[in-house]
Formats: sequence, structure tokens, C-alpha cells
Amino acid sequence: MPQLEVRDVTVRYKKRVGIQNASLQAERGEIIGFIGADGTGKSSLMHAIAGVIRFEGEIVYDGVAYHSPKEAERIKAEIGLMPQGIGLVLYDDLTVGEHLQFFADIRDVKQDEAFYAYRDKLLHMAGLSEFTDRLAGNLSGGMMQKLSLICTLLHRPKLLILDEPTTGVDPLSRLELWEILDNIRKEEGTIALVSTAYMQEAARMDKVLLFDDSKIIAKGKLEELVHEIEPYVYEKSPCEECLTIHGKSFSLKPLDAPHTTPSLEDIFFVNALKSQKLPPKIEIGARSDGTELPEIVMEAKGLTKRFGSFVADDHIDMQLRRGEILGLLGANGAGKTTFIKMLLGLYPIDEGELTLLGRPIRSGKDRQKLKAKIGYVSQHFALYKELTVRENLLYFANMHHIPPTEAIRRIGRYAEELGFAEYMDDFPSSLPLGVNQRFSVAAALLHEPVVLFLDEPTSGVDAIARAQFWEMLRLLKQKWGISILITTHYMSEAEYCDRVVLLKRGKKIADDTVENLYKSHPDAKSFEEIFLSYYRENA
Amino acid sequence: MKTRTVRAFALKEFVDLYRSRMIVMVYLLPVMILVLFGYGIRMEVTHARVMIIDNDHSKFSKELVAKFEHSKYYNPSVVQIPEKEALRSIKQAKTDALIIIPSSFEKRLLHGQKSEIGVFVDGSFPTRATTIEGYIQGTILDAASEVSARMGMKPKGMITLNQRTLFNQAMRDEDAVVPGLIGLILLVAPAILSALLIVKEKEKGTIFNFYASPLSKAEFLAAKLIPVFALHSLNIFLLFLLAVYLFDVPFRGSFMLYWLSSELYILISLSIGLLVSVITRRQVVAVVLTVIITVIPGFLYSGILMPISSMQGESYIEAHLFPVMYYNHILYDTFLIGQGLASEKIVLYLGILVVFFLFYFAAGTLWLKKEMR
Repeated sequence: MPQLEVRDVTVRYKKRVGIQNASLQAERGEIIGFIGADGTGKSSLMHAIAGVIRFEGEIVYDGVAYHSPKEAERIKAEIGLMPQGIGLVLYDDLTVGEHLQFFADIRDVKQDEAFYAYRDKLLHMAGLSEFTDRLAGNLSGGMMQKLSLICTLLHRPKLLILDEPTTGVDPLSRLELWEILDNIRKEEGTIALVSTAYMQEAARMDKVLLFDDSKIIAKGKLEELVHEIEPYVYEKSPCEECLTIHGKSFSLKPLDAPHTTPSLEDIFFVNALKSQKLPPKIEIGARSDGTELPEIVMEAKGLTKRFGSFVADDHIDMQLRRGEILGLLGANGAGKTTFIKMLLGLYPIDEGELTLLGRPIRSGKDRQKLKAKIGYVSQHFALYKELTVRENLLYFANMHHIPPTEAIRRIGRYAEELGFAEYMDDFPSSLPLGVNQRFSVAAALLHEPVVLFLDEPTSGVDAIARAQFWEMLRLLKQKWGISILITTHYMSEAEYCDRVVLLKRGKKIADDTVENLYKSHPDAKSFEEIFLSYYRENA
Repeated sequence: MKTRTVRAFALKEFVDLYRSRMIVMVYLLPVMILVLFGYGIRMEVTHARVMIIDNDHSKFSKELVAKFEHSKYYNPSVVQIPEKEALRSIKQAKTDALIIIPSSFEKRLLHGQKSEIGVFVDGSFPTRATTIEGYIQGTILDAASEVSARMGMKPKGMITLNQRTLFNQAMRDEDAVVPGLIGLILLVAPAILSALLIVKEKEKGTIFNFYASPLSKAEFLAAKLIPVFALHSLNIFLLFLLAVYLFDVPFRGSFMLYWLSSELYILISLSIGLLVSVITRRQVVAVVLTVIITVIPGFLYSGILMPISSMQGESYIEAHLFPVMYYNHILYDTFLIGQGLASEKIVLYLGILVVFFLFYFAAGTLWLKKEMR
């Protein structure tokens, strides 16, 4: 009999179904991956297993069957749940050390020598040993996730449920999180259920479950799943009723083109084809007016930002050229967001010179004239929750003094081109992240800027929506000739940039085209490996 | 219930309250309400600007004017101007009241004839006008009775007033307002804090630490409510000291009764906060809702604005549905009267407060679910 058995579990919310008739089995020491787009039921199933939400069906863990949160109380001592969201379970005003103390206390963990040894081991694994006195609110995103994980592990749970523990976490921290997880399951025989948005991580799992439309649509080892889609993946070729993404074409009907090796993310594209949920095609029309641009759109010389004694950005030089997509990469807390905020004037510049569109920026007045030419999408999409998509866009159009008839025309056009026309009268909170992301960009494009600053626009967005997003950026560059500065944690996305800049602890450590970087790192199989090699050097 | 767990959780709440500076609010809010309202609410009128036109210039009329001049309630000015001009002065809000003593005032009185004194009061603030009117009436009657006693005559229609104010002999506003404010503060402040402590975890997401752990509902509630209870218990003493030493309110009853009934009242308040935190998800909503459901009854039915006994119909019934009326009765007793437990009414009201607490606490506890909604 398996250690964990989930039978026909359904979770219903007031208006929709979270997950329908899900079943799974897990043995001791197994890592099971939950993979799928946003809102496909991964979290619902995790909440049901953790016994924090009402469900239909039966779950048996270690011979104890439960059908409701109340019955699940009996096994809660064995469970560790880390819900989705960076630093969600942490208290900003408590230090790292106080967190460990608190989690041990509420779980009534016996605090003997063995406990302290284990606690120190976890701290060491998470690289947090030196930071026990730091307030959680002052940790970077990656550190918060590692702290959340070790807090969840502190009582040695036998059933570990981790909901997107690595989303928004940089590749290095992600690697470390997985090492912790791997050690624990080997030493303790823990079952780990892990959902992730990074397909590379699926390779480290014993079994993956594919989620779509509130159902589990496929189960098995990753290689098997990838093998299954092989017949549908072709090299890029013109076709109908098919998908062409990132230089590959996917079709259920045979195509007159050579096959190519599928990647992990391709599973989603083939699945979209199978469930006949073709994503809306992205188009970009010509802009209303042509603008003459200088060759160098943005130039930063020795830009520096300090927070007290902490240097967030240390003398950074950077150039953004006309019609270029520049990727700004780095671990959590490397200074990416701070840099963008300095460019936008959201943080005052402590030192250095900044030139935007050929004008030196010295005061707020200098910026005022440029506001109409810059578009910005923040990490959290600054949308108004109480306004519908349409109302949000009209509001932003008003802010930029776009005449109403012109505003309505442009909003209608973007809605069609970027594929969110059907959601125009919905509230942002009820929409998938991918749709919110595209309409946030539409809001930033309304005034037809010539430069676009995007701060982690793709975090937590599913593979298909991300592919569409990049298609949109590519078209914007091609049709409008605008320059884009983008930060991301998906190293595979770095490859779509013209040039990348790598930041580490506030310093620039690399600035080159993707091609050149591959040349200088001949052994690297993916961009992730290049990134890690830079980070490991003189670490 | 594992005491170690509860202690650890409660300790976390203290640390959190301290580091987020919320602790300042716990004590600043009550002191501010007491000081602002304690000084701000004024029912009595002093230094009313009274214009007197004396057309008689007799001994009697001068004696009457002197009465006004020697009272702290008036700022009189004796003038010789036409009536019309004096009335205009009221219109311009330069004068609160006008008193006209007719000519041959003394002569008529000595002859035992009826005499009329003209009194005009600015009625733009009705309560203020009524108060001033009452004062003037009293002053005139007082003067009249003095004169008549001295002359040994009993003129017809002359009333001797024998007014006495009970319990608040000095007629000081502070005595009437400050204890009522304590009833308001101890209803509002603990409720807001306890609502915030739970909703904050819901909003942030840390509530998962409770949902997903073996922590029981009783342990969670104890950990959340004990800090609020402990911190606000200190306010009972703080408010007492402010009332007695800053506002000079007398304290005639038993301190034990004041203290224990206040602790009971705080329990009611934090149970209300608990109820609010069960229904709301956002801190802002929780605060606004708590303020609405505690401040309005806390103020209306506190007895500050209007005595409950003089309420009628719906307001009388409503007043009995909120705990503030019962507690304030006990408060006023301990401060101004001092009957204490000898009064059956106070024992009954204590019992009613216990029922309030049990009801709210049971409702909040049963409603709180250890699962997502």
C-alpha cells in the first residue's frame, strides 16, 4: 500500500471548480511534481492534501483516512505546507532566528541538542547562518523562500507540500533549494509534492503530474511525457491549425517538415493543441506617429544607489541602443529592480550620470518632458483591482492625456492584437496572470512610448503566456523599433534578448550578446549554466 | 492546550506589536480620545455675553445688574442704547442675550404690581440658548427672592426656587463626560487591536502557519487574545489616573469593582474584534467595521450625550442591546455615587455583561474555521 493515496478529490469554490477528480499515489522518499499553468488546480489539490480546505473524496496518509480539514487534524503534525507566494508565511518584523524558534514552538518540537544540530544544518544548507539576526522583511526574495522552506522542514515533516517554492527565485538560490530538498528526502524518507513553473526542475522529480483545466491530464516520468509528444514537434514551417513558437512548429496533423527534439516546455504547447485551446495570435499594428530616436536611448555612467551602508547598485555603466532588447539578469537582491527604479526616478540617484533619449537627467523637471516617451511595467502590475480591464486602460489613457476617441480606438486595437478582448469587462483579480500581464503592457503602451522598462513581467506566468509575451516584445521591436529593458528569472528567456547584462551584489559582472557569451563558455549547454558559472566564479 | 506553544505564539505577538510600533497606538489612542473629548465636550456655558439695558436706574434694578456682574456665567455690559440697536448686536453674534429692565421696575414691585423683564436670547444654537435662558431665569428669580425676603413681603407670582443637582453638585462637565469616555475607549480600542491581529495574518498569508499546523483553535485564540487583554488591562489604570488626576473627577466607589468590571468589559470588546476578524479579510475593512460598530453605540448610548432613562421607543431598546450602557452605569456609580454591589441593579448589570461576553466569544470561536474559505 502506498504511503499517500489521493482518491477522486474535488475542490469547489463558490463560483468555480478548483480541481476535479484528482487521484495520485506516492511512496516514501518520492518527489512528485505538479506542473501546469496558472489556475489549473495545482494549489487547490495541495490545499486539500494539506487539510486546509474542504474537499470531496478521500485522502489516505499512512493508513489514516481523512475527508475534511477537521479529520486531517490527526496528521497535521506530519505535514509541512509551504503555500505559494514569496515570504508568504514569514513575519516581516521577526528575525531569521526568531522564525526558527517560533516554528519550532508552535509545532511543539522538543528543543534538545539534536534539534539545534538539525537547525544549524538547515541554516547552513540555506546559506542563512550569518543572517540569523536579520529581519525577514529585509531579506531578498530568494532568501525569504529558503527561510520559508527550512521553517517548513524544522519539525521533520514526513509529507512535504511545496507550492511553487522557486517562483521568483534566481537560478542559484533555486539550485540550493533543490539540494536541500534532495537531502531531506533521502535522509528522512519524506514524500515531497512540489509545484513549479520552471520546466528544468521537472527533470529532478521522480514523477510529474500535468494539470490542465482543473484536471490531471497526464502522469508519469518526465522522459516518458517528452517522448510522447515527439511525433507532434517539427522544425519551424508554415502551417494551419498549429502553433509556431520559438522556432518550432507543433501540429497534431502530420506536417511536411523534419521533426526536431522536443523540450520540456513543449509539452504545454502540444497539450494546448490537444485541448484545442489555441492561444490568441499576437499582432502589433504600426504606431500612430513615427519618432526620431537617438542611436543611444539610455546611457548610465557610474550609477550608484545606497541604502544606509548597503550598496544596492555600485557604479553601474549601461547602454540601451535603439531597437534593442536588453536583458538585465541577476540573483535576488542583485540590484536589478533598484536600477530600473533609478532610471524611472522612483529612487533618487546617489552618484553617477544618466542620459535618457539624449538628455542628461539631473532633476525631476528633466524627466517630466520624457514621461510621454517611457513605458513601465512593475513587478506587481500596478493595476486597480476595483476597475475592470477596460476602465483601467481608460484611466491610464486619461493619465497620459490621450484624447478619448483616440484612446478608445487604441484600447480596442490592443485588446484585439494582444488577445484579451474577451476579458475587457472582467476585474483583474479574476483573470489568469498571463492576461493581466499582457494588459499591463497594453497600459504601458497606450501613449506609444519609445522605451519600455519591464521588471520581471513573466514571473509566475505559464509557458504559453510567456511564449506569447516574447512574441509580442519581438513584434514591438520589429514594428515600432522601440527599445526594451527587461529583467527576468527565466534563463531560457535570456536567449531571446539581443544583449544581456549580469548583475551580482550590485556590481556589473557581464555585458555582452548572448552569442558571444556562448562562445566564451563553450561547455555550456544552456544559458542557465553560463549564469551559474558567472555566479560561482570568485563567489 | 499546550502552554509552551501558546506562550511562544503570544510572545511573537508582543514582539510584532513592539517592532511594528503598534504598541504606541495601544496607549496613545485611549489617551488621545480621553484628552481631546474630555476637554472638547462642553455642555455648560460660562461667560455668556449679556447686554443689559437698565431703563429704571433704581436700587432694585442695580441690585439685579450686580447679580449678573458677580457671576462667572456672564460677561454683562450695561448699556444705554435703543432696543433696536441692541437686537442688531445679537444678530451680528456679538451678544448672546439681551435683558431689558423696564422703567418704574422698582415702583411697580413695591406696589405689588406685576413687572415684566424683557429677555432675548440668541437661539442659533438651541441647547446653548436653553442653557443661557435657564441661567438668566434662575439669576432673576434668585435676586427676586432675596429682595422679597429682605423686605419681608411675599409678592404674588414670585417663585422661590430650590434647585439642587444630585451626585454632580459642582455641575462639572468633566465629571459627567470623562467616565462615559472610558466606556467608549475600552469598547473601541481592544476590539480594533484584536481584529487587526487576526486579519493581519489573513491578509499577509501567515494564517497558513495556523491552518497547516497541529495548533488548535483554542491555542491560536489564546495566543492572539492574551496579548490584547494584557496590554489593554494597563489602560484601565492609565485611564483611571487621567480621570482622577488630570480631570479631577471624584472617585467615590470601590476600585476593585471598577477594575474587575473593566477587565470583563475588555473581554467583551476583544470578542467583538474576534467576530469582526472572522468575517473580514482586509485590515482596512476590519478597522473601519470595528470603528463603526463600536464607536456609534459607544457614543450614543454611553450616557454622555443623553441619559438612557430619558430615551424613548426604539432608542431605549437599542441602548439595551449594546454592552456600553450597562458598563457605564457601573462606571458612573464607582466614580460619582459609590453604591457598589449594594445596588441590585449593578449586580444585575454585571451579570448581563458576563452574558454579553459569553455570547460574543462563543459566536466568534464557533465561527472561526481552521480552513480556507
